Amino acid sequence: MKYALLIYDDDSAWVDLPDDDKATLRAEEMPRWVALFEELGKADPNVSGKELDGRHTAKIVRVRDGERIVTDGPFAETKEILGGVFLTDLPDLDEAIRLAALIPAAEETGAIEIRPVLQ
Amino acid sequence: MEYMALIYADEDRWDALSEEERADVYARYTAVAKEMQAAGVMVGGDELASTRDATTVRVRGDGTLVTDGPYADVKEALGGYFLLECDSLDDALEWAARIPGAEHGAVEVRPVYVDPEEAQL
Repeated sequence: MKYALLIYDDDSAWVDLPDDDKATLRAEEMPRWVALFEELGKADPNVSGKELDGRHTAKIVRVRDGERIVTDGPFAETKEILGGVFLTDLPDLDEAIRLAALIPAAEETGAIEIRPVLQ
Repeated sequence: MEYMALIYADEDRWDALSEEERADVYARYTAVAKEMQAAGVMVGGDELASTRDATTVRVRGDGTLVTDGPYADVKEALGGYFLLECDSLDDALEWAARIPGAEHGAVEVRPVYVDPEEAQL
């Protein structure tokens, strides 16, 4: 079964940090992410993941009556924003839940939404 | 540069469509995906199951909290995405406008994050 693990987190404290601080925090957290990638790779050798750039980079595109309207995003009005996605092929939902709980962003203010991918 | 085009739409609207209307929507998605492939911009894409089938996982303290449903109740939910390789944001926005969901919902375009050190390689 294919599952998308959607990573939602409140990035409000993160976006205003200087780049140096972001780099330091990334470096500190990296071993946990590397461990996660290994675990995901064991569960699904073809796992793929993408991290999305910050909320200030988001644009929203709508087409109304044939006219294209582009506004600044993000789309969600919640404090949490989609920050990344893993696409996995796993035996069942329990395994998806186990792996989701290993994602560092599931802690503190974050949440991982698991959605089946339609074939 | 990779961009993710995230498709947000009202799930109730989809639920209300007839089989024929859904077949038309799928045909339009297939058509735009073929155009993206022909242009060499389509890296991937998926349709997600409804938020009714979502499970949300939170880790708080030492515990893992698992709940049925999406992380937040929103009227327009993420329903799918295209992953695009485009030369510019403008190109990505143009492709996004051709996604059928843009006509009633909204398509959010976000660059895929590239680590500054990797980008220099």
